[in-house]
Amino acid sequence: MSKRKRDAGPWYPPEAYGELAEGIQRVLIPADRIQERVLALGREISVDYAGRCPLLIGVLKGVVPFMADLLRAITVPVEVDYMAVASYSAEARNKGMVRLEKDLSLPITGRDVLFVEDIIDTGLTLNYLLRTLRTRDPASLEVCVLFNKEQPRLINIPLKYKGFDVPDLLVVGCGLDFRERYRNLPFVGLLKPEVFQADVED
Amino acid sequence: MTLTTFARTQKGHSILSTLDPTPPAFAHPSEAAFARILDYYDIDWEYEPRTFVLEEDASGNPLEAFSPDFYLPQQDLFIELTTLRPKLIRHKNRKIRRLRELHPEINIKLFKRRNIRDLMIKYGIDDEARKILGQEAQ
Repeated sequence: MSKRKRDAGPWYPPEAYGELAEGIQRVLIPADRIQERVLALGREISVDYAGRCPLLIGVLKGVVPFMADLLRAITVPVEVDYMAVASYSAEARNKGMVRLEKDLSLPITGRDVLFVEDIIDTGLTLNYLLRTLRTRDPASLEVCVLFNKEQPRLINIPLKYKGFDVPDLLVVGCGLDFRERYRNLPFVGLLKPEVFQADVED
Repeated sequence: MTLTTFARTQKGHSILSTLDPTPPAFAHPSEAAFARILDYYDIDWEYEPRTFVLEEDASGNPLEAFSPDFYLPQQDLFIELTTLRPKLIRHKNRKIRRLRELHPEINIKLFKRRNIRDLMIKYGIDDEARKILGQEAQ
């Protein structure tokens, strides 16, 4: 594919993102590659779930851009629901365990559930949520992740659908944040060390 | 070629809490922070449950041994944490390499300084990240 064609797409170039782009060391996965991969995942899911109506579940907030794109890439009927988990704040730590800030609105008993995640690294949060969902007796429960960071994995979780393997570095964009920023970048970029070192290693 | 030294699972610790409320004597703050994260996500862990002898003399006396920091029984995974800077972790890599040679059935993962930093950033515990990364060695 020619560079011209690859560059063609609905997205602004990285430099258009101004101060956000200034925090990016380099683009790791361009927006058009992500879109192509999401379309391919959607096709795969549409074939696998033909004749069924899977319920796609995501965890707010990082999954929002991926979920929006994936939903539109799936051609069979689907339903969607979201959960939200309290961050690992001092308050949450004092309460001792993971707390759901928002539970599902739809029942999942007997449903074909596809858990959609933006990224998996340690697998701790995903493992906890999958355990919670399994107690509700879905007919099936599979996982679809856009980005897989393998190195820090602590919990082995089978991934039925996977977009990209990403290196063990701080990456942002496409829903992935640093201090709640950068989620709106349509590409995935490596964060400049000075951005987080200034905050963490000062 | 193994020697059991000390084991305290998080669940066991809860059961024994009335008898022995003391948490394991972690060698480094990063280990305590890591244990808290595992507790938060309800993952069973053991702290330094096994010591592996890496080298013996002719009489079978241990010359070198290695006790990985954590064991996650449900994952059958040992974890070694290090906050050493990358250029200083050669000896730790060597120990892990040797352990894998002697016990290919063992699953072990080295969590490096950067992994720990990223974990702390992810979980929003920058104060702990600063404390941990401010120290050069365990």
